Amino acid sequence: MSTTSQKHRDFVGEPMGDKAVTALSGIGEILGKKLEQQGFDKAYVVLGQFLLLKKDTEMFTDWLKDASGANSRQAGTCAQCLKEWCDAFL
Amino acid sequence: MPDPSGLTDDDLKAALLELGVKAGPIVASTRALYEKKLRKLLQSNGHGCLNGVEKDELYSDSEEEEEENGEEEDKELGSEGEKEEAVKQSDQAKQGSSQFPSGSQSVMPDGESSISSQAFSITHMVEEMESRRPLSTSSDTERELNVSNVQKHWSRSNRLDMPIVDTMKNQSLYYTPKASPYKWKMKLTQEPVKDTFKDMFPNTDATTTGIYATRRRPIKGAAGRPVQYAYPDTPVSPTTLEKREVERRLVPIQIQILVFLIVTCLLYLIYVCVEDNSFGPSFALLDSLYQGSDSEEGLLLQAETQDVPALSGQE
Repeated sequence: MSTTSQKHRDFVGEPMGDKAVTALSGIGEILGKKLEQQGFDKAYVVLGQFLLLKKDTEMFTDWLKDASGANSRQAGTCAQCLKEWCDAFL
Repeated sequence: MPDPSGLTDDDLKAALLELGVKAGPIVASTRALYEKKLRKLLQSNGHGCLNGVEKDELYSDSEEEEEENGEEEDKELGSEGEKEEAVKQSDQAKQGSSQFPSGSQSVMPDGESSISSQAFSITHMVEEMESRRPLSTSSDTERELNVSNVQKHWSRSNRLDMPIVDTMKNQSLYYTPKASPYKWKMKLTQEPVKDTFKDMFPNTDATTTGIYATRRRPIKGAAGRPVQYAYPDTPVSPTTLEKREVERRLVPIQIQILVFLIVTCLLYLIYVCVEDNSFGPSFALLDSLYQGSDSEEGLLLQAETQDVPALSGQE
């Protein structure tokens, strides 16, 4: 397996359904709260944003950094997580 | 260029498209991002345009740049036509190298400006080739092809440079020593390689300038990573991987069926044993069983007789 965390593997291994935003790899408690404040209360809403940006990880990373104050690593992890999820299920 | 925040969604999208960015839907949440992107591109474009137009004029004479610098800057600020030319030129270059939509556009003029004194050899060559041939409508496509081909080849060899130069435009001068040997190498390798290219790639159409460019496989080993000759099969989703692992660990199905049959036979036999002598046809079976397990029966009988007196004693 590549260097992915358990959280990443858990998320990418099954359809996200109604999982909370904090289930995304790279999104912890604090970032999750900030996203929820902006209306991104579920993982699928963040997925929606990712898809709106045409699955471009760079743009999504920029957006996430602006929206939640994530650093590059966290945003990159989240983008990668979503990208793999899309590759598997979309 | 108007301020991105003043543009309508459609205008913003069109502006980004002009700069080679295929924007997705511009919605409330994505608008801010695209505006920022447009601003970034405009800034880089602004820097690039000035230099790019200089280069346009420099095709004819590469030595008089300093004088032309001053002139060009004055001219440009007012006129759109020259800007369009520069954008067009960079657009043509872009069409060939689709991998670097905004990067190449901003890099090419920047690269040129920084190495201006060293006579940008590729465009120089192209310009020479063109001057030999009669200018016709097809020359534009030729030039496009040449520039794009050359750009492709140049961009491949300067792959490492490109992102660096792109991001550090102010300090592009620092990278001149790095860039120039690449250019000289390009110039040197171009001529002797022409014939071998024909042999290696007989299918490529002969361009009028004789410059060929084909896609080169990225050299993984050069970057210090191990060379990977065998690539993995079709990407498998994590669920199928897990399923396969689980299947491997389970008992094969043949053995499962066999065990099932054995167990059913045993249970049937036991059932038959437990039943009393009411079953006629099973007599023979019982007899065989009794014969087989004589000692067991003997023990059982003893146990029964012992139990019975115990029970009767208790009562």
